[in-house]
Amino acid sequence: MTLLSVSDLSVQIDNKSLLNSVSFDVSVGDYLCILGQNGAGKSTLLKSLMGITPVSSGRITLEHRPFEAFNQKALARIISYVGQRPPAIDMIVSDFIRLGRYPHHDAFAVWSDTDQAAFDSAVALTGIEVFLDRHCTTLSGGEFQRVQIAAALCQQATLLLLDEPTSSLDPHHQAEVHALIRQLNQDHRITIIEVTHDLNHAVQHSQYILALKSGKTLWYGDSDALLTAPVLSQLYDHPFVTLTHPETNQLIALSSEK
Amino acid sequence: MKHAERNLSLIGFFTVLIVIIAPYLGLSNHLTPEVERQILFDIRLPRLLLAFIVGAGLSICGLVFQAMFHNPLATPFTLGVASGASLGAALSVFLGIGFSVFGFSSTPLFAFIGALITIRFVYGISTLNRGFSIHTLLLTGVAISFFFSSLILFIQYLNDMPDAYRLIRWLMGNLAIVGYKTIWPLLPFVLLTIAVVFYLSHELNLLTTGDDMALSRGVNVSKTRLILFFMTSLCIGAIVALCGPIGFVGMMVPHICRLLIGQNHRWLVPASCLFGGSFLIVCDTLARLIIAPAEIPVGVITTLLGGPFFLWLLIRTKTPIS
Repeated sequence: MTLLSVSDLSVQIDNKSLLNSVSFDVSVGDYLCILGQNGAGKSTLLKSLMGITPVSSGRITLEHRPFEAFNQKALARIISYVGQRPPAIDMIVSDFIRLGRYPHHDAFAVWSDTDQAAFDSAVALTGIEVFLDRHCTTLSGGEFQRVQIAAALCQQATLLLLDEPTSSLDPHHQAEVHALIRQLNQDHRITIIEVTHDLNHAVQHSQYILALKSGKTLWYGDSDALLTAPVLSQLYDHPFVTLTHPETNQLIALSSEK
Repeated sequence: MKHAERNLSLIGFFTVLIVIIAPYLGLSNHLTPEVERQILFDIRLPRLLLAFIVGAGLSICGLVFQAMFHNPLATPFTLGVASGASLGAALSVFLGIGFSVFGFSSTPLFAFIGALITIRFVYGISTLNRGFSIHTLLLTGVAISFFFSSLILFIQYLNDMPDAYRLIRWLMGNLAIVGYKTIWPLLPFVLLTIAVVFYLSHELNLLTTGDDMALSRGVNVSKTRLILFFMTSLCIGAIVALCGPIGFVGMMVPHICRLLIGQNHRWLVPASCLFGGSFLIVCDTLARLIIAPAEIPVGVITTLLGGPFFLWLLIRTKTPIS
């Protein structure tokens, strides 16, 4: 079942074209990775899906309804977003995660059992029970990333947008967050759109890849096919060699020195 | 949560205590019961009510501005509304306009018109470049404040001595009123602002986490900000028009409340109202008593407390304030 359908999406800011006629579809339970150079329009794409950056032209449908039919609150019941570089958050972790229930509340709602259940499951899934009472500013990068994902999960949206969720983490914590994202996708059927610079992670773990270059679609297809596609070197304007991983026998890409 | 509830009830308790005790302080003991009654009900009580309303209003507006601008040093006067009102008041004093409309003298009317023009102007500038930018808004407000302050200095220079003195007194902020007629026009502004801010307290919680985060949780950021900007600006305009710019209350009170209550605006809104109201009653009582039988304008007291508080805040936060 198609969850999100994007056709001919363009975004312009101050006469500068950030996205140019991008189209793709996402079905329920899909895992899509977006690749591309810095400034290719990856973050802009996620932000326009979350209603943060206004769309200049094109059509987005969400659950078969036009995007314009959703107000921000209704949108947040379906889509949640974890951005890059959030500001320092002056809050206790548990209070911050509770804010995820906002789209399900009106101004005078009281904390219900449903809210508590969503909170508990978000906390359990991300394994952050131990730092619920800590202050957000005291968390390490990896811990805060899990807290951010927990807050987004507490929102109980079906589509999770992640903007480089592991880019500032060490390999161990990267693997930890990647495992969490896979678990959410596979066990809980949460649809994922992830912006990443980790080519091999995208190829191995996601089902589809959308590669952007200068705001346009360079390549869009099944993840497995990217490494053998002729466009690979164009993606980052950089040559890659592919080889087989000695343990998993999967094809991996290696940046090749010029 | 428990902690917040307990401290809020403590603030409520002290508020009641202050409201009961303050009017009796400084009553001389050789008054006839009738004169005493008259002082209490015609002078002290209206003044106490006014102090409470003004203190609550300024604190709520300060709370909103600090959350909206992600800046702990924002005050209700940051956006230049108070300077606009002061310029209006300065003009009315300078031009010597002495008429009154519906029982209001010209100074508050001019001040309120000055505030309204400033609000429109600041809003106009901040929306010139697409959208309603929070940074442009802040910088526009600061620029306007400086510009209006220099215009006021210019007017001061041209004023003759008595007018200059009147204006200086007005700029110090004052709560000395007789009777209730100053309170009625102010009440709807402050009550409506408190109600709206309370209604939007979840949105305020999310605004403090940044625009992108608030949007991704479903807050209509630009609409919320627009409502809060106009509501608080009108409230500040009305307060400054009637009482002059009483400084620092709106900056200090939200901070103290955050220390006592935490970050949840659902609790911070009532706490700031009660604390701000009773804080200004205490300051005004001090203003009456320190050099009794003469009085100090209450703005002098709050500003005296404000400077050291500001420094304490800077030292306490340790990390540079962005």
